[in-house]
Amino acid sequence: MIPQLVTVRYRRSDGRSLRLPVPVLPVLLLLSPLLLLAALAGLVACLVFEVSAAGALRGAGQLLLALPGTRIEIDDGRTAVLVTVR
Amino acid sequence: MNEQRRQVLEMLAESKITADEAERLIYALEADQPEPSTGVADRSKSRPKYLRVVVIDNSAGEEPSRVNVRIPLQLLRAGVRLASLIPPQAVTKINEKLDESGVPFDLTELKPQQLEELIDQLGDLTVDVDEPDSKVQVFCE
Repeated sequence: MIPQLVTVRYRRSDGRSLRLPVPVLPVLLLLSPLLLLAALAGLVACLVFEVSAAGALRGAGQLLLALPGTRIEIDDGRTAVLVTVR
Repeated sequence: MNEQRRQVLEMLAESKITADEAERLIYALEADQPEPSTGVADRSKSRPKYLRVVVIDNSAGEEPSRVNVRIPLQLLRAGVRLASLIPPQAVTKINEKLDESGVPFDLTELKPQQLEELIDQLGDLTVDVDEPDSKVQVFCE
């Protein structure tokens, strides 16, 4: 299924941490005009570079559907960043 | 041959039970016994879903640095499928650049099916690098 929630957690060097949950669907709805422009630009790029647009769309869709479960954590002792996709 | 099965066969030899009854008893005994579980059999039953990369670096300063990445294997497969869309002229240019850098690798020989098979076999991959100052682990779970 498509990602529902992306959580970004950032711990600063002073110990304070900031947690930012990003709901994916509402954000996509908000950014839909920009996404439409990006999709059109992608379509033009596919035509220019002779790449199958349907294949590119299918690949991008599969990439998106495979994102849930991704977890990236970087901690250098003082600062830390954690990104999870659910 | 286990003890219970031997007893059933002895009863059959002494004509205490018929051949049909012996067969049913042996079948029931085999059904009751738990299957032996080996590490390989257990691992093959549950296919790994994620690729984990863990890096712990103690070389710089007091606090160790840590990188912990978990990527779904489906993401790798999707990436491989996207890579198959690279147009041939781009592949040729990449090959030329690799050749110039001294890397004798031909991307045209790399097939998406081979990469898919490679990803399927990643479940058995474990990389463990253990140094005094750092540790790197790559495995699937």
